[in-house]
Amino acid sequence: MALATVRSLTYGYPGASPALRDCSLDVEPGEVIGLFGSSGSGKSTLLRALAGLIPHFHGGRFSGRVEIAGLDTRRARPAELAGTVATLFQDPEDQVVFTRVEAEVAFGLENIGTWPAEIAPRALEALEAVGAGRLLDRPVAELSGGELQRVCLSSVLALRPRLLLLDEPTSQLDPDGAALAIELARSSGAAVVVSEQRPERVLEACDRVLFLEDGRLREGPLPDAWLPREAELPEAEPAGEVVCRLEHVAFDYPDRPVVGDAGFELGRGEIVALVGPNGSGKTTLAKLAAGLLEPRAGRVVRSGRACYLSQDPGRYLVAERADEEVALAVGGDLRRARRELERLGLGGHADRHPRDLSSGERERLALAAVLVAEPDLLVLDEPTRGIDPVRKDELVALLRAEAPRRATLVVTNDHVFAAAVADRIVSTIPERERVLA
Amino acid sequence: MKPAPAAALLGGLAAAALLAHRTVSVAAIAALLLLICLRAPARRRRLYLVGALGSGLAVVLLTPFVETIGSHPLWTGPTVPVLGQLDITREELHNGLFQGLRLTAVALAFAAYALLLDHDRLVQAAGFARRSVLAVALATRLVPTLERDAAGLVESLRGRGVEVTGVRGRARLLAPLLAGSLERALNLAEAMEARGYGRPGATRALRPPWSALDRIALTAAGVVVVIGVLWL
Repeated sequence: MALATVRSLTYGYPGASPALRDCSLDVEPGEVIGLFGSSGSGKSTLLRALAGLIPHFHGGRFSGRVEIAGLDTRRARPAELAGTVATLFQDPEDQVVFTRVEAEVAFGLENIGTWPAEIAPRALEALEAVGAGRLLDRPVAELSGGELQRVCLSSVLALRPRLLLLDEPTSQLDPDGAALAIELARSSGAAVVVSEQRPERVLEACDRVLFLEDGRLREGPLPDAWLPREAELPEAEPAGEVVCRLEHVAFDYPDRPVVGDAGFELGRGEIVALVGPNGSGKTTLAKLAAGLLEPRAGRVVRSGRACYLSQDPGRYLVAERADEEVALAVGGDLRRARRELERLGLGGHADRHPRDLSSGERERLALAAVLVAEPDLLVLDEPTRGIDPVRKDELVALLRAEAPRRATLVVTNDHVFAAAVADRIVSTIPERERVLA
Repeated sequence: MKPAPAAALLGGLAAAALLAHRTVSVAAIAALLLLICLRAPARRRRLYLVGALGSGLAVVLLTPFVETIGSHPLWTGPTVPVLGQLDITREELHNGLFQGLRLTAVALAFAAYALLLDHDRLVQAAGFARRSVLAVALATRLVPTLERDAAGLVESLRGRGVEVTGVRGRARLLAPLLAGSLERALNLAEAMEARGYGRPGATRALRPPWSALDRIALTAAGVVVVIGVLWL
């Protein structure tokens, strides 16, 4: 008997057209289902329906039926399903309740009524399973994105659910961490529905593949653009006029050193990918290169203007209109801003509020907001987070077309993207070199 | 000391500051709380201290102009519509100082609570009204979260070569900060519900037993309030 059944589910968020249309699905105990589809195709919505959050939390128009372990989600609230179902959401930063890791992992266990003496050992066991046992006493605010994602994963694994819903669980993890996360999910014995934008990270572990397109669900195969690709990281020598050089730089946060004696060069016309494990100082190095941080030791030599695009840039938009947002970097020149929006396919959105745009449009807007300044050095921090393969290809094409104008540094854990976009790789792993982290 | 008795002690000091009648007593309580706050890292405590001391100072400065008490005028000014004739008396100055110190003491007690206590353990220690304690803990976390979001916005602008300076520059960040907080609150509420929050039959992880120091602190909290009413 299926653990979860979805029958003829059609659902629309309040005031919006249907995000899911006539979807049907059976999830058998212990199977792993890969759920793919472009941004906005309804993947997260389907996972929310399986968690019972739709319709209870979001409202909207719901027809059809979803049953989890015999419970109809129209009658059973999400809190009642918790424990049977566990959900790892897309953005780890928005699902953290407590300030310390131990309490965070214990929270779900307490809610589902775990015997008090079992809570702490199960929390520790789950943390150790994801390789985060050493984080037990750490404040959540001090964790890197990847470390936080591991903690959130351990929070759901600690519940030992029968149905595990993972919404882009590896978006901030390095390849080793991603492989471990997927292996842990698979070996937990739970049925797993995992939504991912990087098929190469999960496809091997999947028993079945589902694809969502405009809210309609179909069983594999994946479209060509979604098929896993080889990632051979390029190894070229620095080329072109040097735009930025880091010489023996070191940087410490108040409580811990992050970067020590690191150095590399960025030349005009080349795209360099900065790779390395979570917490190894990639973002810090990127900020040092862009001039947002000053090194404790060593020096950064830079010529011309540098622009930096942070992780999750759609969160950090400040203006009331898209064109005004882009114009900020060019002294309020709205004409130039609109031209840039046009170039990035956002011409029709110039007068819209940035927060009314879809997540993909927000990211393109943020990119337009830095490209408009025509910087000599462009630094992008994890630009493919949450981006589907089709949009990733578009980003590669755009960056390649722009490359001759400047030096570009891309911080990424996405080796497929790095292989496609970069001329050469700089790694924070000492063996691979040039940078010591 | 565990966070629950420490919170009770801070609450006792704040209550004593509100109940005390003498300026010097309130000043002593405020000074003690300031010393406690100085144990927090300089980077984190700055915003709280500026808020606590700034609001107290504002009360000290404004009270003489909005009150009309006392018979020992030190300065008589013009007549202003709505407020009437402006004057400053010795009694108004004294009352302004007293109320300003009270506000500062209460704000410093909150600052010490926010900066130095482990809110997770406070929530776990709550024997009753756990939802309310969790709500307070989440609200307390809003300040550092807003700080982090504001830093992210400033960094995003600096990354485009736009420096955020002056009151106007910072004011531009208020609307996106508010919108971001609302988005975050909704996402958090959804995640909490998915993790079983509000389900009947919840348990709590085992807590270590209270030490003698914890018991003394809890007793001292009550004693401080009584002293505040009777003698300070």
